Amino acid sequence: MADTLILAGLLAPWAVAAACAAALRHRQRLAARVTAAGSVVSLGAAMWLWANALGGRAATAGPGALFRVDGLSALVGVCVAAVAGLAMLPWPGTGQGDADPGRTRFFRIFASLFTLSMLVAVTINNVALMWVAIEATTIVSAVLIPLHRSKASVEASWKYILIGSVGIALAFAGTVLAYFDFVSLLGRRHDALNWTLLMEVAPALHADVLRLAFVFLLVGYGTKAGLAPMHTWLPDAHSEAPAPLSAMMSGVLLAVAQYAIIRWKAVVDAASGPAFTNQVLMALGLVSIAVGALSLVRQRSYKRLLAYSSVEHSGLICLGLTFGPAGVFASLLHLVNHAVAKSMSFLLAGRILARYRSADVGAVTGLVRTMPVTGPLFATGIIALMGLPPFGMFVSEFLLFRAGFAAGQIAATSAAMLLAGIGFIGLAGHLARMLHGARPDGVAAGEREWWPLAPLAVSLVVMVALGLFLPSGIAQLLGQVAEAFTP
Amino acid sequence: MEGLFSQVAALGSSGVLLCGLILLWRRGVGAYITAFTWQSAVLAALTAAVGYFGADRQLYVVAVLLFLIKAVAIPRLLRRVAQRFTAGREPAAYVNTGTSLVVSGLLVLLAYAAARPLEAISDMPTRAGMPLAMGLLFVSLFVIISRRMAITQVIGFLMLENAIALLAVLATYGVPLIVEVGVFLDVLMGFLVMQIFLYDIHDTFSTTDVDVLKRLKH
Repeated sequence: MADTLILAGLLAPWAVAAACAAALRHRQRLAARVTAAGSVVSLGAAMWLWANALGGRAATAGPGALFRVDGLSALVGVCVAAVAGLAMLPWPGTGQGDADPGRTRFFRIFASLFTLSMLVAVTINNVALMWVAIEATTIVSAVLIPLHRSKASVEASWKYILIGSVGIALAFAGTVLAYFDFVSLLGRRHDALNWTLLMEVAPALHADVLRLAFVFLLVGYGTKAGLAPMHTWLPDAHSEAPAPLSAMMSGVLLAVAQYAIIRWKAVVDAASGPAFTNQVLMALGLVSIAVGALSLVRQRSYKRLLAYSSVEHSGLICLGLTFGPAGVFASLLHLVNHAVAKSMSFLLAGRILARYRSADVGAVTGLVRTMPVTGPLFATGIIALMGLPPFGMFVSEFLLFRAGFAAGQIAATSAAMLLAGIGFIGLAGHLARMLHGARPDGVAAGEREWWPLAPLAVSLVVMVALGLFLPSGIAQLLGQVAEAFTP
Repeated sequence: MEGLFSQVAALGSSGVLLCGLILLWRRGVGAYITAFTWQSAVLAALTAAVGYFGADRQLYVVAVLLFLIKAVAIPRLLRRVAQRFTAGREPAAYVNTGTSLVVSGLLVLLAYAAARPLEAISDMPTRAGMPLAMGLLFVSLFVIISRRMAITQVIGFLMLENAIALLAVLATYGVPLIVEVGVFLDVLMGFLVMQIFLYDIHDTFSTTDVDVLKRLKH
């Protein structure tokens, strides 16, 4: 009963927020308050689920335990609720302040539905309904990309929905193949696609059918996770979308897709051992790191810079999954770090874009003096993304590479380190150019309205805390999940 | 009875695949929409037949939904879009007709190879159709990547969805109904959004040739 209430507390606020924004056409201020209150409730529920998972118990709710929250679900759920709560605050780029309440309303409706479908995806036990929820994320986020209609945003939204839908359709083909294997063995059962049941019977399933299914699933969910070579939609969509949407897509949508990959990897590994899944994940991971890092060097737009950095980090997370329990631990920690640092950087990039009216690195100079609060915070976010101490990503990358060497993957780990180094240089060069130099003419200096940035203090604290020490609540949960998801 | 069932399944899935192949040698959005409509109708009939032979009443519901959404509603919307802004014939594809047909033949062969482990473990009378479903899946992917008109890409995507629905009904007599309903909802919503984007592209670029979508590079 308590579980049902908490799960309702996690999901319902976003449905309410979407409904309020839709119904209260002329009272968007009230809708904003409902959304803010709802996001606090949702985050609180997610934290409760986290604490519950720490006790080694999975919370379940709904008919036939349709919803099930274990450690992995709680981990991604907290990230989604936190980043969404942050992104729903009034940031520039969503119509707030530019005298277009219709646009604000439109954004609020679909961003709430987007969050809802991500949260459903990570809490539902049925892997086919998880697919339905992830497909829904594509649809509701795609409509928000051309919020400010331009040639570039229309093109980006088309690429996103076409490549995203085709990719995710292949993931459904993979789901059908796995279901087919189950049906051939045990007959038709309505709960056959429950992940818990799949895990139970997996050792008896046919390894070669599941391997074929995994290829489809990895191409499908890998497309959503921004893994190369299926990543081509990502830099366009992330750079053209309004900043808060980019923050959600880059910070947590990629994590939700990785979540689906982790779930399926566990099933396939139970049937055929981890050798096959590790090989394909390692290959895709390394290609993604290479594409992301090398593209960082020659970008001209700072939003595309952040987008390619997502490809790189998605590749790192993917690679870490192949390094045994220590690698999974590092990957999940990296996933959390990336969600925090990347969402913050995108939100700040939106403010920079609103001030300079250009997404070109070359057009943004003298950032520190022009925007005395946003500038240093943005620099902090980028430095964290480069993997420097004292921020969390330094720790997770270190743990990831150490796990790689410990697992005997010397060549792959060295290659990843080298590529990460190239990405580091790329980011550092661009950042230096943006921070210093003279302020361009026509761009106002100073920042009177810095108070909307106050919530980012939370991101900052989390980033530094994860870099200096690993709180036991986090370490313990990650340890449990890593243990449960490696055969 | 079982012999008749497997014949119906094989015939139906061949029909679905053939409708997909029409996209390769006909030129003109109208013909594509007709092909898609027929494909969906055959798929709905096949689904109902599997429901009859397999004694599963839920499949009748799925068949009716499939027919209403994919053979009636979506084609009607597609025709409205096509009338609004296409001159009928589509600009030359990236790959010419002859090559397309050869490539598709190879893809269907590949599908037979890929589906071999599936056929080996199944004892369902419908298993002979599975390679055809996989074949349609690969051919649809090829159509999506080799065509230049946004609306043709959408039709290719819808055929890809049909291929997966065909695979599901042949391999497992359909996924559970609740999943099926969710999938239909996604298909419909996804199509409606794509339709909006088609209008957006046309309004912004005055064409739906995706060759113009090359602004965003690096």
